[in-house]
Amino acid sequence: MSKPSDLIQGTLDLLILKTISLEPKHGWAIAKRIEQVSNEALQITQGALYPALHRLEQQGWIRGEWRASETGREAKFYALTRAGRSQLEKELAQWERLSNAVALVIKMV
Amino acid sequence: MRLRSLTDRGRVEGELDKELRFHLDQQIEENIASGLELEEARYAAMRRLGGAEQIKEECRDMRQTAYLEDLGKDLRYTGRALRKSPGFAVAIVLTLGLSIGANSAIFSVIEGVLLKPLPYPQADRIVRLFFSSNSYPRFPLNPFDFRDFRSRSHSFDSLAAFTRSDVQLSGSGEPVRLAAFRVTAGYFRVLGLGLQQGREFGPEDELPGSSRVVILSDRIWRTQFGAAPDIVGRKITLDSQPFTVVGVMPPGTEHPGNDYHALPYGDSVDAWWPFTFDGDPNQRGSHYMEGIGRLKPGKTPAEAQAEMNALVTEVSREHGREGGGWHMLVVPLYREIVGADERMLLVLLGAVGLVLLIACANAANLLLARATARQREIAVRMALGAARSRLLRQMLTESLLLALVGGGFGALLALGGVRALVALLPAGFPRSDSIHVNASVFGFTLLVALATGLLFGLVPAMQSSRVDVQQALREGARGATGSKHHQRLRNALVVAEVGLASVLLVGAGLMLRSFVNLLRLDPGFRPDHVLTANLSLPDTEYKTPVSALHFEDQLTANLAAAPGVKYAGIGTDLPWTGYDENDGGFLIQGEQPPPRQEFHARYHFASPDYFRALGIPLVRGRFFTDADNHDAPAVLIINATMARLYWSHGDALGGRVSFEDNPKEKDWFTVVGIVGDVKDRPASSGAEPAFWWPMAVVPLVNGGVMSVAVRSDSDTAGLANVLRREVHRLDPALAVADVRQMDQIADANIATARFSLFLVALFAALAIVLAAIGTYGVISYSVGQRTHEFGMRMALGAGRRDVLRLVLSQGIQLALSGVILGAAGALALARLLRSLIFEVSPADPLTFAAVGMLVLIVAVVACYLPARRATEADPMIALRSE
Repeated sequence: MSKPSDLIQGTLDLLILKTISLEPKHGWAIAKRIEQVSNEALQITQGALYPALHRLEQQGWIRGEWRASETGREAKFYALTRAGRSQLEKELAQWERLSNAVALVIKMV
Repeated sequence: MRLRSLTDRGRVEGELDKELRFHLDQQIEENIASGLELEEARYAAMRRLGGAEQIKEECRDMRQTAYLEDLGKDLRYTGRALRKSPGFAVAIVLTLGLSIGANSAIFSVIEGVLLKPLPYPQADRIVRLFFSSNSYPRFPLNPFDFRDFRSRSHSFDSLAAFTRSDVQLSGSGEPVRLAAFRVTAGYFRVLGLGLQQGREFGPEDELPGSSRVVILSDRIWRTQFGAAPDIVGRKITLDSQPFTVVGVMPPGTEHPGNDYHALPYGDSVDAWWPFTFDGDPNQRGSHYMEGIGRLKPGKTPAEAQAEMNALVTEVSREHGREGGGWHMLVVPLYREIVGADERMLLVLLGAVGLVLLIACANAANLLLARATARQREIAVRMALGAARSRLLRQMLTESLLLALVGGGFGALLALGGVRALVALLPAGFPRSDSIHVNASVFGFTLLVALATGLLFGLVPAMQSSRVDVQQALREGARGATGSKHHQRLRNALVVAEVGLASVLLVGAGLMLRSFVNLLRLDPGFRPDHVLTANLSLPDTEYKTPVSALHFEDQLTANLAAAPGVKYAGIGTDLPWTGYDENDGGFLIQGEQPPPRQEFHARYHFASPDYFRALGIPLVRGRFFTDADNHDAPAVLIINATMARLYWSHGDALGGRVSFEDNPKEKDWFTVVGIVGDVKDRPASSGAEPAFWWPMAVVPLVNGGVMSVAVRSDSDTAGLANVLRREVHRLDPALAVADVRQMDQIADANIATARFSLFLVALFAALAIVLAAIGTYGVISYSVGQRTHEFGMRMALGAGRRDVLRLVLSQGIQLALSGVILGAAGALALARLLRSLIFEVSPADPLTFAAVGMLVLIVAVVACYLPARRATEADPMIALRSE
């Protein structure tokens, strides 16, 4: 079972939420976008991506909608819900705190 | 949302498919764009995507609806699987059902007797009060002492005393004896019970010479007075005296139980009338009141006891009775009512719990055997992408379903079983009428069933889901031989089963031995062919001792003359009925009591043929005769214990006893006879010292209450009518109460021992049968696995006997380990049994040896069939398949 072992637990949620915060995207586009922006450092496997998307949708943070994609084929686009937006803010703040803390430790020791 | 994905599952599945398809196509396009051929691009994309089915499954899991869907699937699958092997399913459901049902039945008794709160408001604040010393741990109170305690203590909201005092209701039809109590004011306030109509007794009713009033039970109001609405205020006749009914208690008014002329706990009282403080408040020698109180909120029984102890000292000092070693015992009412039976019920629950554990081990064994058979199927499913957790869940569904069906079956059994149990309970068992199968019993059954399902399902499920897919598939059709681990587990389960069954068998064996001891015990009297009854001569009718004596003489003479009657006697009491009248401080000529003690003994009265009628043997001297009357020299009969304890110098026979402090010559009673001992209860450690006065000296003792005993030379069947006829010929207004065979009285005293023996033996039998089934299953499975091996052995020259011995020794090894473990467990647990066994050591070697032999024999029998099958292995087949 493919788990995003190279991502800190829970980080995938943050990445997905952040990636679709500007405009709705389908799964493929989300994966591509994360890979591009991270300079291919983060590879999102489908085995992790789709269960995560379905879980986030189940939790009510994102909503899927079938629309025509760039190529004209129908694809499921995911958009942030209002609850998802506040969740994103919460997770961003948490990430900020965590990475600052880690950075501090690394510098000090 | 969740609902949606459940309702249009098809659409959701389609969308999931489409979504992943889109992703795959995008990947393929990208691969083509990077220069791959179409086929290659597709192949690479699919590789990249990984198992589409697994992703889908995980997405479904994320939607959580999967649980419900899976449950449905699992149930359907389980149903199919069980239909394919009905024998397996029936075996598990039956064994589980039996043991769950037995557990529920015992639990419903425990729930009704121990767990259900007593039917009084804030019952935990109600306590019983006893006088107590080293020689008399539980002694009744003196009324005037009680009155002092009541006015001086601060621990109680209310304090009351009561004493058994039956009355005879006459006026319409045959007179009826009413079970009645005299109670002080506020008795019902202590219990927290209100009246259905009328009023409770107040302080004015306690005054000597106050008008006679009575409160009736609902039952008597209905049966004797047709529920007359104008009952309050009506005059009725009790003991030939007019009484005014002042109240009626509601139905279900439970008597809290009492010691003195004991009436068991329950809806057993017919009437209550006021206790009046007659007599001289400075005469405090007689003790016959039973104390009961309601503690103030927040007071503990220990605090109340400390206060009462101080009061006992204070009151004793005021009346110059210091140094008797008396103090007060304050016991919570709940302890008092169920305390004696609590241990027995908990032992029964423990026993039936062991049976359930054995049934669990059996079911686990069956599941393990099946799991081994299904190893390939499981391996295939795992190879096809089934997650381990998914398989676990499916197998647990199976065991839980089996357990729940078993639980349902058990609940049905419990419904019938509880009725049988209540019927089996000893008469007068506390709170037996509050035993019902109710919601909490069903809740208990459900919980037990679920726990059982988890218990016997989890280990096999974990085991089989840990299957090595590659190996299981490679081993092919030959079946799994790599199940050494399974075999070990199965052996361990059988050893545990045999061990638990041995524990139960040892328990049953010890109880059987003590029951036999009880039966073999010489009761000190001969209970066969004796009919008994109680009479009560009202002192209003029998005003003079002469009239009472005349009645008694006439009755015994007429009865003795009746056909079939050998002896007829009258006495104050009958053996084993809880009689407890004591006299202390008498003098014995030429003897001194032990330092700081006084002579004390049970006192009784007896007519000449009383001892002969009951079959109490004469040790030395003579019985009373008709000549032992008021005008003759005063005589006594004593029991052997009194003779042994109190005559250290001279001979007890011919010894003299006086009940006066400064006796004149006529105040001395001469001991003319020594009779055999009768203990208070069959299992009492020894008899109390006791003596008898001739009935003729004081014919109207105890308010005229007396017991009649009639010994027949054949059958006592027709005797009851003879007894009634003879009594009514002399006095048609007398009620003949408690007509019982002496056998029945004797039997009632061993009823609890028999009840617990019967149930523990039943559970032990169930346990050994289950353990035998378990042993059979394991040995038979292992024989099946080793058929090939046995064939080979026989081909190489082993005889049938060798193979037989091989298999049997495997079974005996298992049984032996179980017996050893069980014996160790029984030794550790036997301490719990100590209060239930009688004159048997908890480590009784005979019992342990017998149980060991029995278990080994059962093991050999259980292994014999599989062993026979092993000898039928065909060497040719074994060789050919090699």
